[in-house]
Amino acid sequence: MSGNGAVWGRVRGRLRAFPESLAACGAEAAAYGRCVRASTAPGGRLVKDLCAQEFEALRSCFAAAAKKTLRGSL
Amino acid sequence: MLGLGGLWLLWRRPPAAGVPAKSLRLRKVASGVSPGSTSPRALNIFDRDLKRKQKNWAARQPEPMKFDYLKEEVGSQIADRVYDIARNFSLALDVGCGRGYIAQHLNKETVGKFFQVDIAENALKNVLEMEIPTVSVLADEEFLPFRENTFDLVVSSLSLHWVNDLPRALEQIHYVLKPDGVFIGAMFGGDTLYELRCSLQLAETEREGGFSPHVSPFTALNDLGHLLGRAGFNTMTVDTDEIQVNYPGMFELMEDLKGMGESNCAWNRKALLHRDTMLAAAAVYREMYRNEDGSVPATYQIYYMIGWKYHDSQARPAERGSATVSFGELEKINNLMSQEKKSQ
Repeated sequence: MSGNGAVWGRVRGRLRAFPESLAACGAEAAAYGRCVRASTAPGGRLVKDLCAQEFEALRSCFAAAAKKTLRGSL
Repeated sequence: MLGLGGLWLLWRRPPAAGVPAKSLRLRKVASGVSPGSTSPRALNIFDRDLKRKQKNWAARQPEPMKFDYLKEEVGSQIADRVYDIARNFSLALDVGCGRGYIAQHLNKETVGKFFQVDIAENALKNVLEMEIPTVSVLADEEFLPFRENTFDLVVSSLSLHWVNDLPRALEQIHYVLKPDGVFIGAMFGGDTLYELRCSLQLAETEREGGFSPHVSPFTALNDLGHLLGRAGFNTMTVDTDEIQVNYPGMFELMEDLKGMGESNCAWNRKALLHRDTMLAAAAVYREMYRNEDGSVPATYQIYYMIGWKYHDSQARPAERGSATVSFGELEKINNLMSQEKKSQ
């Protein structure tokens, strides 16, 4: 590691905030999980971007929650 | 067992001054036999150098006790098995001891002196309090620096799953044991962390179109028995135990694995785990495996094995055709036994 580890600390700090932001998006996460789980049933096929819609909803919710926690911590 | 985030891997080898720029590119995946290996069957699955750094890092954490719960539990189970053997051992060896989770449960009468062997010096420096006199040796599990027929007892708790050449490691353990010595070991089994493995697999397939292994390969139960036999052990026993630990979510599980020093160090690990994939995997994990109270379980399957080094005094299967009684007379066994006692 180089320097004072500032970038490293920031990246790890963002990662530590993941569980909090994820907890705020329970519904979207459950929807995405259900979509993926349905594809594992017999007869289903999991391909790339099968659940892209649900994931986009999850990601936008997650980004909003992350911004909120970041603003709250500043 | 898990590769988490790519950025720290880029700083794994800070370049020395004067190193040309082109050597800064990421290490290419190397599988199979490495060029300098001596034995043709030698496998090179794990980066032992990296594992030593990970264990050193984990041992240097401010609160190592926070992540010790699994190793404590398995260590106490192994100590139970040592007590079950009605013998006292004057010299014992702990292969891959970590901070000494087994020795702290044993007493001076059962074990006279304990040798602790580990590849991480920080773990040996932070050894837990115990009453048995110990000697700490910094050595690799595959290259034990001891003479033949040295130890009465060899124990190993949750460290052999990172060994590249497991048959050779078991042979080494057999080598350093005295005749009529015993080896008691615990290893992670095939079902360990299957929830994590499946969630990452599904999420990566859905997000990226393919997947790469993130949880390291484990030995199968049958193979373990064969390996012990091949190493020369006599009278082997293998039994399994499953420990389920509940976590708030997938990220907490991954953080605990890192704190235990169990991060992935296989050569074929992917250098980068995208945040999108992590997020997707956490959502899948929660949906597929969560408990009623909202926590998610992680399964650790532990194989406990016991093997003895051959000695003339040990019981042997009788010669074929030497039976004096047949199974058909089993109902008369009380009479037969009292007859034996009378004749003795």
